Parts: sequence; C-alpha cells; structure tokens
Amino acid sequence: MKVYQRMARAFRAEGITHTFGIMGDGNMYWLNEMIKLGATDVEVRHEGAGLGMADGWARATRQPACATATCGPGVSQLATALITASRASSPVVAFCGEHPTNDDEYNQRMEQAPFAAACETQFVRVATADAADDAVRKAFYLAKINSKPVMLSAPMDVQQQEFEDDDDYVTSATLMPSRQVRPDPDVLERAADMLCKAKHPIILVGRGAMWAGAGDAIKKLAERSGALIITTLMAKTWLSEDDFHLGVSGTYATKTAMELCEESDCVVAVGASLNRYTTEHGYLYANAKFIHIDAKQHVMIHGVRAADIYMQADARIGTEALEGVLAKRSFKQTGYRTGEVRERLGNAWEDRHEYKIEAGTADPREVVLALDEVVPENISLYTGSGHTAGFSNILFRRRRDVVMPGHFYGCIGQMMPAAIGAVMARGNKPAMLVDGEASTMMHLNEFDTMVRHKVPLLMVVQNNEMLGAEYYKLDAHKMNAATSMIPSPDLGAVARGYGGRGVMAKSVEDVRKAAAEWVAKPGPMLIDVRISHDVVSLPYRRIHYGLDE
Amino acid sequence: MIEVNEQVYAPAAPQTVWDLLSNPQAVVSCVPGASLGEHHDDGSFDAGIIVKFGPAKVAFKARIGLELDASTMTGKVSSRGKDNQGGTRFNASMTFHVSPQTEPPGSTIDFKAEVEISGRLSSVVEAGANMVVKKMTADFSERLAAHFAQPATS
Repeated sequence: MKVYQRMARAFRAEGITHTFGIMGDGNMYWLNEMIKLGATDVEVRHEGAGLGMADGWARATRQPACATATCGPGVSQLATALITASRASSPVVAFCGEHPTNDDEYNQRMEQAPFAAACETQFVRVATADAADDAVRKAFYLAKINSKPVMLSAPMDVQQQEFEDDDDYVTSATLMPSRQVRPDPDVLERAADMLCKAKHPIILVGRGAMWAGAGDAIKKLAERSGALIITTLMAKTWLSEDDFHLGVSGTYATKTAMELCEESDCVVAVGASLNRYTTEHGYLYANAKFIHIDAKQHVMIHGVRAADIYMQADARIGTEALEGVLAKRSFKQTGYRTGEVRERLGNAWEDRHEYKIEAGTADPREVVLALDEVVPENISLYTGSGHTAGFSNILFRRRRDVVMPGHFYGCIGQMMPAAIGAVMARGNKPAMLVDGEASTMMHLNEFDTMVRHKVPLLMVVQNNEMLGAEYYKLDAHKMNAATSMIPSPDLGAVARGYGGRGVMAKSVEDVRKAAAEWVAKPGPMLIDVRISHDVVSLPYRRIHYGLDE
Repeated sequence: MIEVNEQVYAPAAPQTVWDLLSNPQAVVSCVPGASLGEHHDDGSFDAGIIVKFGPAKVAFKARIGLELDASTMTGKVSSRGKDNQGGTRFNASMTFHVSPQTEPPGSTIDFKAEVEISGRLSSVVEAGANMVVKKMTADFSERLAAHFAQPATS
C-alpha cells in the first residue's frame, strides 16, 4: 500500500466523509483514494473557499472537517480562510501536498511551515513513510484539542513510498482526555458572595456556553439571581425565549441594551472570550464587577484585564454549581428582572431613525424584518460582514436552529463558503445567508459548487453597489465617498447563469415574494436586493456619526 | 486630531463675558457633565467630565491649566487626562478671545481647539468622536448664551 492510500484510510477512520478543495498533482492521488473509499469530493473553484467550507462544517458540527489543496500555489490560496478558521476556533485538517523532498528546484515549491505559522495554523509534516499514521493522528488530535486548523503537509515523493504496516489505524480519539473541569469550591463561594450582593446582574453568554449545553443552567441562574441575559455576537438569539433577553452585547447592541449594561453592577460571563467588541473595551460595563466562568485556564477580558473572580470550569458545570450555592443559601431576588425593565425591552429593537429611500431601492432594515418574518424558524441563518451586517446582526431576532454570524477575522468574502459547508454538514437542510454584494462577489463562483451539490442555500445580497464600510467612513471624514462605489451586475442573472435560481429585488415586496418562493421550493437561489445608499446601520451611526440611535 | 473653530455670540458686554470665562467654576457650569475638582498651587485645577459616545458614557478626569491675558481678553486652556478605566487618554488645547459685537449688541467669542484622543476608545468612536466634540461645543455655546440671556429676561 502506498502512503497516500494509507493516509486516505486514516482520514476515513477519523470520520471524514467530505473533502473540500481543488485537485492538483500534490493531493490528487490521496483524493482519488478518498473517493474510492466513499468520501464525497466537493470540488470548489478556489482553494480558500474550500477551506472556508470546511471551516463552516466544523463550526456547525464541532467535529474535524477536511480541506485539501495541492502544493505551493494551492496552499498559498488558503491564507485568509486559515486565519478565519483559526479565529473561529474551527478544528479543520487541511491535507496539503508539498513539493518533493528530493527536488529543491520544483516549480511549485514553497516553505509551507512558516506560511502555516503566519496563518495561525498548526503544522504537521509527513516526514517519512513510516510516520504516516502518526502524522494523521497528531493532526486530528491537535485540531480537536486546540480547536484550531492544522496543515498536514505531505511531500509528493513520500506519498508515493510504500507503507509496510497493515495493522488497523488507531484514531486520535484514543489520545483525547475525558475530563470535565469542575470549579474550585472557594472560588465558587466567592462568586456566590459577589452575585448575591448585585442588584442589577447580567449573565453574558457565549459559544462556549452553547457548546457545553449550559442553556437550562443559565436560565435557572438568571431566574434565581434576578439577572438579565445577553449574548455575544456568536451566540446571537440563543436563549432569546427568555423575557429578559437583551440581544447581542457590544457593537450590535440596541440602545436600550447598552443603557441596561451600563447600569449593571455585576456580569457573570459564561463561555465567552469577552473580547473588545463584546465589551466595547470594557466601557459597556463600566460599573460592573466580573465573574468569568470558562473551561480555559484563564482568559483576559478584552486583552487587558482579568475578571474580579475567574472560575475555571466547564460552562454548564460551573453555572449549575453557582446556581446550586445560591439555592443552598435560599437566595432568590427580583434583581434586574422587573416590570420596568421588561417595558424598556418592549420596543428596544425598533429603529426609529428615518431615512429617505431612493426610488428603485429598499430600506435594508425592512428587508431584514421581512426575511425574518417570511423565512420560517426551522431555516438556519448565516450573516456576513461589512456594513450591512449592522442590519442583520441587530434586527434578525427569530430563534433558529442555527444562527451563525461571521466577523472572526474582520474580512469580507468568508461567509458564503462557511454557510455552504455548514449546510452540507447538516445534511443539506435549507438555510439563508444574508451578506453584502462585495462580500458575495468575492466567492460568487462557488454558486456553481452550490448548484453541483444541490445546496439549498438562499443567498440574500444587500446590494448598495459600494464598499459600505469604507463609504460611510469616508463620508464621515468629509472625503470623497464616491470612490468606494462600484457598480455591480445583476447577480440574480449570474446565479441563473450558474444553473440556479436568481432574481433582482427593488422593493421589500419583491424580497417577500422571492423569499416565499424559495421557502416553498428550497434550492440554490440568490436574491439581489438593491438597497438604499442613505440608510446607515446603527453601529456605524454611533462609530462614525456620534449618534446614539 | 479633532479641530474645532467656533464663533459664539453672547448677549452681554465683553467685560461681563470675560469675567465669566476667567472663572473656572462658571465655565464648568456651562459644560454639560463637567465638574470642578481641587485647585493646585501652580494655578492648575482638576476637573471631571462625563462624555456620551453613542449610548455609552465615559468618565474622564483631567488636569487643566488656564492662562489669561485680561488686556487682550484672550485665554488659553490646556488639559490632559484619562478615563476612569485608564484605557483612553486625551490631550486638548483651546484658545478663546472675546471681542465686542455691534449687531446684535453683545460679544463675540472665538474658540479654537485641538483635541487628540488616543487609546482604546479611539477605535470605538472613530470619526464619531469628532461629532461628539462638536456637539459638546454647541451645547457649551448654548448654555453660555442662556447664562447671559437669563438676567435680561428676568
């Protein structure tokens, strides 16, 4: 058996059912073997998009996903997607060809190890034929234990060597620790003391709490301690069935939520990294003490300070334990869960700022509200980046199976691939992606991949024919904002050209009609919504125009 | 760098306006969210101000120096400080000059200021800080005008 054949068997044994990438001479033998062993080869139109799809798969399943690229030029296409996957804590294993070890003048040679390091990606080389199993096992172990991408770099000549051992491959699962982190009893008591003294507590929950299944425990703790619930962007709409749910903390918070955060005297953060965007550099919770529950050894708040009490614990176990201590003390208070707060939250999401909408365009805020109404809650939601994310990330409120925002690396173009991968990971269950046109067009050629694999993704493009983030910054600085305007073709027609469905919408009614048609018959579809230039998202109104609503 | 160039009308004689602008206590009362602290031997004094950036309020502490030239009715204010979390600093300098105005009768105050904000908050507020500082200047002008208008209407 050749090394590439053994490695394909190892990938299948690790649970890989789909590969995302482009075949080239550095990975084609391995890929051919993967297909022979029953894996689905998702051939994409750009290696970076393939890695983005694997990233989306990993985000949706919390299991390792597989991307692949040929050596040199195939690998160098992965840069932005690797960093995005790293920031998203996605366990992705990228099988990458590498130039032959005996040919330093090979045309497609590249130093892949330092490239991986620069892309915040772990690196494992298949140095010899004998080490093939160890290399695959280590790659999957590192991906899972660190929740980060790994580049498994396989020199072309080593792939063709004989692998002599015919024992069964031993998977990385045998290496994984099976322990849950339990809180230190002293820390737990101190945390309970602090929470009992709080009059206006808030529980801030992130993806770590979602992944740990801490939802019920958080709701019980909120009831007992009188706390409001707020999420990070990445946990958007999670637990929103609670009457005292504030939405998203930070950049995408409503004015009411920000005011309530500012009045808070204690934040219990659960499974949240508390980065600068969640806390607005700490200014959002200027008057609060922090209790931070996380499975990591320690986490700095927005990179500059520590919580007043840091409790290392699994999010669910830590939250249950804290609620348990309060229960033992017979502590229960109304706290922040008052009628007055409920009333303030009643119209918190209303955007009262009036704009004149140009003829032939739609108000992007109304587009979001219409989509949230027309597209049922069993349809997952993916939101993109850039200026238009300011509409989606605040105004979409319906609780859905999956709500997945982007923003991990602050780049555009990464959410379409991630959404495709996530939809495929969920057995091609229909989903909706809302993004801007510059972001969409960066990987629009993957609409072809969607069509070939019958991915039932509705892509709604909030198209204002400009780089919105730059447009409003330039405008606020009284510079020539028109330099950021780029006319775009009819993207609905482009989608039809790829063999899918596509329309251009110039009003909210057009959007409603097209979305309803897609809901009735899901499949690859794109709605190119022409939106007003004049409507500025709430975060941009604050950041660039000094307004508060 | 945020630059402010404002001309404010005050419905009072130049000497009356100058007397007010020379009095830190009175000036602070015209700045929304500001409070006066301890005076130091070198003539400088402490002050605090709460600034609203969007819905978020940020409390700054500053040390302020005031140089006055009564003969030309010109003043120079320098201030530097940081917010109560220590993550954001500012450095501001302002000059003002009071001159008579005939129509409508009263005084003109010319303000020129430069404000520099650095640190964590600067990335949160970006160009919005410019708008916030300009709004604060407008609020100050309004309060100043109201201050002088009050006796006339009472």
